Amino acid sequence: MSLFRVWQITQFELTRLFATKRGLLALAAFAMVWFMIFKYLIAEAVPFLSGPMFKDIARQLAGGIGFQELISWPEAEFAIYWVISLYCFPLFSLFVSSDQTVGDRQRGTLRFLSLRSTRDEILLGRYLGQLLIVAILIVSTVLATLLIMSYRDPSLFSSGLLLGLKLSIQLTLISMPFIALMAFLNIVTSSSRLSIVMAILLFTLGSAVIAYLAHYIPFIDTLFYVFPGEQIADVAGQKNTSFIDWLLPVVQSVGWLFISLVALRKRAL
Amino acid sequence: MSSVIKVTNLSKSFGSKAALKNVSFEIEQGKTTALIGPNGAGKTTLFSILCGYLEPDSGQVDILGQQLGDPKLFSKLSALPQDAQLDPRFSLEKQLCFYSRLQGLSKPASIKETHRVLELVGLKDNVNSRVSELSHGMRKRVCIAQALIDKPEIILLDEATAGLDPVNAREIRNIISDLSDQATFILSSHDLSELERLCSHILYLEQGELSEHKTHNYQGEHNYLTLQLINEPHQALDYLKQLQDVTHVQQTQSKEFVIEYKAENKQFDVHLLKYCHKLNWQYRQLINGNTLENELFNKE
Repeated sequence: MSLFRVWQITQFELTRLFATKRGLLALAAFAMVWFMIFKYLIAEAVPFLSGPMFKDIARQLAGGIGFQELISWPEAEFAIYWVISLYCFPLFSLFVSSDQTVGDRQRGTLRFLSLRSTRDEILLGRYLGQLLIVAILIVSTVLATLLIMSYRDPSLFSSGLLLGLKLSIQLTLISMPFIALMAFLNIVTSSSRLSIVMAILLFTLGSAVIAYLAHYIPFIDTLFYVFPGEQIADVAGQKNTSFIDWLLPVVQSVGWLFISLVALRKRAL
Repeated sequence: MSSVIKVTNLSKSFGSKAALKNVSFEIEQGKTTALIGPNGAGKTTLFSILCGYLEPDSGQVDILGQQLGDPKLFSKLSALPQDAQLDPRFSLEKQLCFYSRLQGLSKPASIKETHRVLELVGLKDNVNSRVSELSHGMRKRVCIAQALIDKPEIILLDEATAGLDPVNAREIRNIISDLSDQATFILSSHDLSELERLCSHILYLEQGELSEHKTHNYQGEHNYLTLQLINEPHQALDYLKQLQDVTHVQQTQSKEFVIEYKAENKQFDVHLLKYCHKLNWQYRQLINGNTLENELFNKE
């Protein structure tokens, strides 16, 4: 495998988002959604969390759902940002990476590429490109949160910077297997839309079937570990998270990518 | 001459349908080769296997001494796959530069190479155009341009002129003809007259089985002329048989006759034209040899 070619493909993926009309429109929509989140959720909720009137009620509520640790953060903006992003970015990753190879395969563009790079390089380059895009968007929203927080309380800037860095890494890790899953679904379906439909079915119908079968067949619930995001509920509270919680998305990503590589090698282009 | 492609006992099936049955052939360096056959004969399957898009069920493919899919073939083997399109969202320069970079060219060299191949196909003024802004003929030419990046040794063109107007088709034929001394072309087309003009080696596929035609200009004891007339005179066949040194005449289609004659008669073509004039026959075309179409489909 040539890392040079993988990097060329990764770079080209970035231009897909940042240098095409469709990509820029998607970015504009993303920016608008986050503007709304910052303006109406984060900015409005912070006084509620840190204000003396509601602080105790908020603590009780958060305690009930395991978020006591988050409530204790002085960087309250990041606490709300974390809860929102934890569920938004995995979902967003599914959509943004829904066309890693399938569009090019249907159009025949993959045939031009496969005369110049191996299928492994194409798959890995595209995956890394999508991961880099998601990581850039995560870092952008973290920086925006940092700015809003520093505007409220400038003394929190340095601690917020470290917390932002930590959350960026954690959110990127959480998003990784979602992109890898889409890499696989792109190979077995005939359009990006169908890939999204399959992903939705996997997370809804698939998990329901496993949950049902788990009543009758022991250990079948271990199958839940192939589902990206399986550990999200465990890490949401940012308390008592284990190393396994962060290793799992990496293992899942490697697993889904390995299956994708095998499937793509066998597939006719 | 050394062979650039050697295929041995290649087979491929789709379900119960055998697309290729024990196909074996060799293509020599510099020999422009035509791949001919009816629809569904297995041409595109063979192309796809040679390009690495499909895996064969069995058999060996050796390209420039390498196995199929070997990264050493990048830049040496290129292709115009049937119906494949570039990404419509990017400019020609952006995409062809990207392909050049993948082939290992530096950034400045890839820009230079992109401009060179676009100029070859007559699209240097469209370097910043997006694929979606181009006509069908221009898109095809861009796809041919990508196949010429970094001067590959083998170029496979599947239906390169299909769906093009005569002017565009002619331009593409000229490109192939001009570059045929620099690379080995393998062409697939339904236009036999086009292949006849460009190719010296014919591979004929039918129902997954291959037969080879080394040349279509017979040399030896007998030569051939193909006479096309404007009208069809009464008993033309009989009249032609009466000509001196004629050994066989076949009517291949309305107003077209393939005349086999003794090779020792060097003036036969002159005599034939004089004979037509004498009989008041007007001819449309006199072809030295047999047409590829007649060779393949009118064997007697």
